[in-house]
Amino acid sequence: MMPPRSGGRSGSRDRDGKPSQRKKFFVRRRKVCKFCAEKLEYVDWKDVKLLQSFIPERGKILPRRISGTCALHQRKLQTAIKRARFVALLPYATD
Amino acid sequence: MRLYDIVVLVTPDLTDEDAQKTLGDYRKILADGGAEFVKDESWGRRRMAFPIGRKRDAFYHHFQVKAEPALVSETERRLKLSDQIVRHLAVRADEELKRSAKMAVRIAKKAARRPPRPPASPEALAGKAAGPDAAPPDLPERSDS
Repeated sequence: MMPPRSGGRSGSRDRDGKPSQRKKFFVRRRKVCKFCAEKLEYVDWKDVKLLQSFIPERGKILPRRISGTCALHQRKLQTAIKRARFVALLPYATD
Repeated sequence: MRLYDIVVLVTPDLTDEDAQKTLGDYRKILADGGAEFVKDESWGRRRMAFPIGRKRDAFYHHFQVKAEPALVSETERRLKLSDQIVRHLAVRADEELKRSAKMAVRIAKKAARRPPRPPASPEALAGKAAGPDAAPPDLPERSDS
């Protein structure tokens, strides 16, 4: 068994598949990191439209367990969102 | 010389022209200091996501410049002093871009290396298929907790 080399990408999670054995009607779709899929290496903090898709109603940052973003890109996304918030492009909180 | 992203928010109390004039002052400071403008674009008057200093709108302007660090810190100092500037943010962009360019190269290399692999992968798949068979006993536990 080889240890995963380049720090577990989105592909290395082996969470899917098996639960479907128990519940046949419910097949979990594999989530893919949007940035890896589109090969966007640089997460631009000025691109409001892009960042907005990771901001749910409340204004919090969408966790990667839900969005499926890989760790590397979630980190970049996080700083990008925080920068965008500082210049009031995105809200800190909404109610 | 380093690449910087500078976003400036000008008070909505000014007219369009006056806002452009104040921005012109900073453009001049940057230009006089020997900055190279990569991008110099106005986003116009925008609604802010939350009010800053009782103001709901602001004129947004984005400079992307190649400049010396000292010049940028001097520009920031002046931006801070001005009453017309609601907020500003100057961030270094070149390191991030360089890193992502490197990553892109690494990914391309990986992709180039991949084609010869598929012949070997059936074995790997068989190995993997054997793995999960042993795994289920503890997998449900994890999903329950």
